Amino acid sequence: MPDQVCCVCGDPASSMIGKRWFCGKHFQSATRERPNTWRITILLVVGLVVFVGIVYLLDLVLHPALTGTGLILAGVLLALVPALIWLVFFYLQDRIEPEPKGYILGVFLLGALLASAVGIPLVDNFFHVQKWIYADTATTILGSILLVGFIQEFLKYAAVRFSVYPSAEFDEATDGVIYATAAGLGYATVLNIQFVIANGGVALGSSVIRMVVVALAQASFAGITGYFLGRAKFENKPWWWMPFGLSLAAVGNGLFNWLRGRIVQTNISLTGASTNPWMGLLFASVVALFTLGLILWLIRRNIRTTLAEKEIGA
Amino acid sequence: MNASSLPSKTISTGYRFADLAVIAVTVVAVLAGWLTKNSVENRSVPFEASGISAQTPQGWLMTSVQGNEILHVTNSLSGGFGTTYIIENIPIASDSTVDQAVSMLTLQRGQVLTAYRILEQRQVTVFGQAAYEVGYVFVESNPDLTHNSIPNIVRGLDYIFLNGNHVIVATYWADENAFESDLGRFQGFLNTLKF
Repeated sequence: MPDQVCCVCGDPASSMIGKRWFCGKHFQSATRERPNTWRITILLVVGLVVFVGIVYLLDLVLHPALTGTGLILAGVLLALVPALIWLVFFYLQDRIEPEPKGYILGVFLLGALLASAVGIPLVDNFFHVQKWIYADTATTILGSILLVGFIQEFLKYAAVRFSVYPSAEFDEATDGVIYATAAGLGYATVLNIQFVIANGGVALGSSVIRMVVVALAQASFAGITGYFLGRAKFENKPWWWMPFGLSLAAVGNGLFNWLRGRIVQTNISLTGASTNPWMGLLFASVVALFTLGLILWLIRRNIRTTLAEKEIGA
Repeated sequence: MNASSLPSKTISTGYRFADLAVIAVTVVAVLAGWLTKNSVENRSVPFEASGISAQTPQGWLMTSVQGNEILHVTNSLSGGFGTTYIIENIPIASDSTVDQAVSMLTLQRGQVLTAYRILEQRQVTVFGQAAYEVGYVFVESNPDLTHNSIPNIVRGLDYIFLNGNHVIVATYWADENAFESDLGRFQGFLNTLKF
């Protein structure tokens, strides 16, 4: 009878990853590669861009005469679509060992709830970020990282860490990315709904671009936190590992917001500023593909290193 | 063993330290952000005209003055109605009282501002100076008929100081939603007002 127990289920352990013990079943799951996650990521980005194209074209051709409540409802429905697209792709691809739907939905709702109850009131109503953050470049970068970035990323971290993370269902390194992405999309959905309601409805064609940009960004930076969470669960990591991961996500989030502002703004005149939201969409798509691609590559590399070390040990 | 929770061996010091460290880093970052906000909001530029000086907020839009105004600055980043500070230096007869000056100003406001309503008025001491405070509300609407937004409800505060044969009026206007949150900064501005 071994002295060590599996860090996931508590059964007798037989294998070790980074000083953490695992039973046979959970060693297998912790070192399982999910090639499908790559496909889901690419499909998510492509799907969202196609969604933007369809809504933009429909708006251009049909000129829907929506006003008042109808316009708000249409905006709210559009705000829900990015998360729905991700969920659909996720379940179509995740057939080998599907994550429980309840957990995914629960983390998504928790992300949304934390955004609505804590994140948005703190950023908008307590710190009144919009009133001072654009004072100069240094202030924009500092405010975007220290307040917007850290508050958003901490809440997404909390949505995963204090819900599904301790459960036995969180049994693969990739799970961190999957659940954190769900929390990020929950957060993005509430940000987008708030945008629609605060403006009393929005022009569907142009606002759908903004919604998708927000969804891609929130999912990408949550993915960074999820990567660090995933490795923290299956390996003995130093105390600074998770704060470092969260800080990295917050810095990425803040820099993204600042850079997006610079990229989409094409001209400033006395009558106002003109913008090109398509550049923002392109930028967000590239950032999402790069960030999530890098995270998944790091996970794969780590799994292969672990398996190689086990083979040498055997 | 409850399968839905981590085995107790793994939820020990490592996890707890990591959680506490994450919370600590977030709190430090948010505090640093708050300090950044305060430093930006306290940035000011000196203003002086007609023997009256003050520290006005940096980065605000300075509008050309009209009538007795000597300063008119607006925060263009405010949502809705842009938070505005105005200083007026109004000549009065040498035997005029503060009450007469207040009545005159109230009449002027009533003629110029739409739906002007006084909410409160009282004598106060502002940073050691005797003054008269008038709180009011009005509706601000873009005069452009093609502008399709709902008019803003604006709350205002006038501080009226008697200064020889002049009254100095320091005015604070803010969107009703921003009035309370922006008031502290205006009080900081009032503290720098010298005449």
